[in-house]
Amino acid sequence: MFFLLLSIGFLVTSCTKQNGAPETTLNEMLPTDNNAGSNAKYSGGFNNGPFGTVTGNARVYLKDGKYILALEGVAISNGPDLHVYLSKELQPLNFIDLGKLKSTNGTQLYDIPGNPDFAAYTYALVHCQQYNHLFGSAALK
Amino acid sequence: MILFAVLLTCQAILHAQAIQPPRINQFADIAGTIGSSEGSIAASFVYNWRLGKKRKWEAGLGLRNTSYFGTKKEFRTAPGRLARSTTTPFVIVFAGQETQNWDTLTVQRPFINSLNLSANFGYHFNEKWSAGFNIDLIGFSFGRKSSAILTSNGITRTEPAAFTPSFNVLLTGDNDYGSLNSEFFLKYKLSQRWGVRAIYQFYFAEYKTKTIKQTAPDGTLVDRFRNKANTYGAGLSYHF
Repeated sequence: MFFLLLSIGFLVTSCTKQNGAPETTLNEMLPTDNNAGSNAKYSGGFNNGPFGTVTGNARVYLKDGKYILALEGVAISNGPDLHVYLSKELQPLNFIDLGKLKSTNGTQLYDIPGNPDFAAYTYALVHCQQYNHLFGSAALK
Repeated sequence: MILFAVLLTCQAILHAQAIQPPRINQFADIAGTIGSSEGSIAASFVYNWRLGKKRKWEAGLGLRNTSYFGTKKEFRTAPGRLARSTTTPFVIVFAGQETQNWDTLTVQRPFINSLNLSANFGYHFNEKWSAGFNIDLIGFSFGRKSSAILTSNGITRTEPAAFTPSFNVLLTGDNDYGSLNSEFFLKYKLSQRWGVRAIYQFYFAEYKTKTIKQTAPDGTLVDRFRNKANTYGAGLSYHF
């Protein structure tokens, strides 16, 4: 009985729902000061990946010398452990993890650390980290 | 008169032997432990010899299979030469952690089975209570391949299929290789046959990378990463 409870406890704490992203629609304010203006430095529309669906746009803004990735008007099929990556490849091998996906819906902002070379980091990805599954990608141009 | 004295002595010896515990203590045990996003289940058979005048001490060998599992566990640079300031046996206890040489391999879904020969030691306080320590010595591992993320100097790269090495051996100076279990425990005998244990487990879990490697400051390419898992749990023993 002890081992049964132990196994159940572990499974309950490690799987599914509580690993999924929040689903409430986010509407974070896009950068609008003089430095950012309304011009995004790079942008692209999302395409579905082999393991999920993503619609909407990805745009990179520069505000106060710092880059910000905005996922604008996105709708993402939920999954476990979804992260937002800035990646050199479509299937991420070399990437910058911008953090967990804040929500499956709406507009949301992610700080990009450092000053990455956008000639090399050409994709914004929504990626299931735990299972290494791509949900969606946007080529940044 | 002499004959009577001899008989009395023999009887005393026989009586003493009768109340002494048996020379051999052999038992099968199953144990489960749990920690932070990780756990283990271990099954073992132990053959111990009771030692000392009162047979309070025991030592022996065992065979143990440990199944270790977790989610998103951080494995750090394994080779002792890079991970610690010295690998001299015994001095290793006081050795510093060379964190500047460490990189982190985050294994998303580690699962390792390690079948090892173990050394077992124990002390019996009385008929009911005993305490002990055991440690894996040598054996084999098999487990699930898992995607992993190698974080090295702030750069993150994906390892699509990190795997567990197949050979395990306990060495001195943090030079161990593979996945090895060890336990400190307190045991209470419920009856002549059954006993329960409270366990603190220290498990060395190891994963290797295949496509990407850490480049250590001295230029060494590192593909071995280790998680030293501290877990707590309980066990159930059946004595033969």
